[in-house]
Amino acid sequence: MSAIPLKKYRSIANRSLQNVLAYRTSYVIGFLANTVNLLAIYFLWQGIYSGRSEVGGYTWDQMKTYLLVTFLANSVLSWYSETSISGKILDGSVAIDLLKPLDFQSARFSETLGASLLEGGMSAVLLTIFASFLSGITLPHSPLVYALFLLSLLGAILVKFGVVYLAALLCFWSTGSMGIVWTRIAVTNLLSGALVPLAFFPDWLERLALWLPFQSIIHTPTMIFLQQTGTAESLKLIALQAFWGIALWFAGKAMWNWAVRQVTIHGG
Amino acid sequence: MSIIEARGLTKSFVQAVKEPGLKGALKHLIVPRNITKVAVHPLDLSIETGETVAYVGPNGAGKSTTIKMLSGILKPSGGSISVNGINPYKKRMENAAGIGAVFGQRTQLWWDIPIVESFSLLKDIYEIPDHVYRNNLEQFIELLGMNEFIHLSARKLSLGQRMRADLAAALLHNPPIVYLDEPTIGLDVSVKQKIREFIKKINQEQQTTVMLTTHDLGDIEDLCKRLIIIDHGMIIYDGSLSEVKSRFARSRVIFFQVGSPMPELFAELDQTPGIRLTLQNEQEFSVAFDRYEYTASDVVSRVMRHGEVIDFRMEDANIEQVIKAVYDGNLDLNLNQQAQ
Repeated sequence: MSAIPLKKYRSIANRSLQNVLAYRTSYVIGFLANTVNLLAIYFLWQGIYSGRSEVGGYTWDQMKTYLLVTFLANSVLSWYSETSISGKILDGSVAIDLLKPLDFQSARFSETLGASLLEGGMSAVLLTIFASFLSGITLPHSPLVYALFLLSLLGAILVKFGVVYLAALLCFWSTGSMGIVWTRIAVTNLLSGALVPLAFFPDWLERLALWLPFQSIIHTPTMIFLQQTGTAESLKLIALQAFWGIALWFAGKAMWNWAVRQVTIHGG
Repeated sequence: MSIIEARGLTKSFVQAVKEPGLKGALKHLIVPRNITKVAVHPLDLSIETGETVAYVGPNGAGKSTTIKMLSGILKPSGGSISVNGINPYKKRMENAAGIGAVFGQRTQLWWDIPIVESFSLLKDIYEIPDHVYRNNLEQFIELLGMNEFIHLSARKLSLGQRMRADLAAALLHNPPIVYLDEPTIGLDVSVKQKIREFIKKINQEQQTTVMLTTHDLGDIEDLCKRLIIIDHGMIIYDGSLSEVKSRFARSRVIFFQVGSPMPELFAELDQTPGIRLTLQNEQEFSVAFDRYEYTASDVVSRVMRHGEVIDFRMEDANIEQVIKAVYDGNLDLNLNQQAQ
C-alpha cells in the first residue's frame, strides 16, 4: 500500500477518535460499569485466596496483577467497536460504506484503532490510579517487558478485531445481532483467559485454548506482563499473535467477498 | 459510448416461502421452499454525459435495485453495465471514486462529529486537491445556506439541514455522475427549492450527469428533461418529459363559476363523448376534455350560450396525473412501439 491511500485510513481513525470523545459520558459510564465488575471479580478472587497462598500456580499478588491487565486488555476494544460493524450490516448502512472508494475491512479496522487508542489510553491512566491504591501489584522493572507488553496489546487488538469482524459478517445471514454478539463474547472470554487464567483449565481444554486464536487476546499480554515468559518466549507469542491476526484478516476478507456476492443488503 | 450504459441488465432474488403459523415455520426449517423473484427484467439503458434523468416508478418497481446495480453495491444477475467506462461491480472502489450518491433515507455523515469534519474526511477519502475542496466547500456553503449548521454534529440537524449537508457531501469531489435517491423526501418547500436549484447549477456548470429517483413530481418537472418510468421491473417509458406530456397529458380541465344553474348544459355535456363533467354545486363545475379533440374556446363558448359565466380558469394535465395513471395501471404506456 503506498503512502497516499494510507492517509484516508489515518483520517478515518482520527474521526473515530473524535467520535469517541463525543461519547465521553457514555464511555465514563461504561468504564464505571466495568469497574464495578472488576471489583466484584476482585473480591471473589480474594475470597478464593483466603487461607491459601497459591491457586493454580498464581499467588494472590500475581492474580491481582492478572486481573488488572485483563481489564486493560479487554477495555482497549470497546463495546462501541464491538457492535458498530454488525450494526452497519443489520441496518443496511453498509450500502453507504460500499459507495466509498475504501476497502471496507481496512476502514473498519482504522475506526477500531482510532477508538482503541483513546479508550486504551484512558483505561491505562485510570488503572494506574487504581493500582496505586492496591498493595502487592507486581510491576515489571525492565523497559523491555513494557515494550513487549505494548506490542502484545497491539497484537491483541488485531486478533480481537479479526474475531469481531468475522462474527459481524455473520449478521448478513441473521436478522439480529445480539445472539451472535453474546455468543462471541462468551466464547472469547472463556478461551482467551479473561474469566480465569488458562492454567486453571483442565489439561485438554488448556491445550485446546492454546491452539485457538482467542488466547492471543488476553493470555499473551498477561503472560508477558507477569513475566511468566522469557524474552524469546514472549517474542514467539507475539509472532503467534501476528500469525493469527493475519490469518483472521484474510479469512475476514474472503468471507466479506463471499458475503457481498451472496446476500442482499437490507433495506432500500 | 454513453457515460452510463446497461445492456440486458437483470436482477432476481431468492425469497423464502413460509407457510403461516408455527407449523409453517417448522416446515420451512426442515424443507425450505424458495422462489425466485425477478426484481429487474432485462433492461437497456443509456445515459449521456450531462443528462438529467428522472427514474420513477411505484414502490417496489425496481428503482433502488437498478441504482444499486449501477452504483456497484449489488451484483447483477445478468447483463452488462458500464459506468464511466468501467464495470461498477467488478471495480467497486474505482467506480466509487467517480460517482456521488444521496440516499434520502440514509446519511453518510458521521453522527457525532461536526459536519465540517465529515467533509474534511471525504476530502481525504476521495483525495480531493486542496484548492478544489476549498472552492467547492465555500460555494456549497453559500448555495445551500449551510453556514448556520456546518459546525454542528449531524445528530443535531433538522432533516432539511441534514439533507443539504448530505447533498454537499456527495458532490465535494466533483463526481461526473450523481445518483439521487429521493433527495427531497419529507422536506419543506423552501428547502426543496434550494436543493433543486443547487442540483440544476451543478448540472449546468460541471456537466454532472444526474440520475434522480423521486416520488416528488415537482422535482421531475423542475430538474429533468428525460423521464424513465419503471414498473414491475420493466421500463415502460423512456423518453423526453415534454413528449410524455403532449402524448399522454391530453386532458385539459376548465373550472367554471356561473351566474345561474344550467341544467340543459349539464344534460348536453353528459351526452357528449370525450367530455367529462364534474359538478361541485349548481353554479360551480368543471369540464374535462381531450385537448386534441376540442379547443378551449369551443368549450367556453358552449357554456356561455347557456348563461352568464362569472369566472373560469383552465388547468393542463400535468405529469403528476400521467404518472399516477401509470401507477394505477390505467394507462398502457407502450410508447416505444407507438413512436416507431
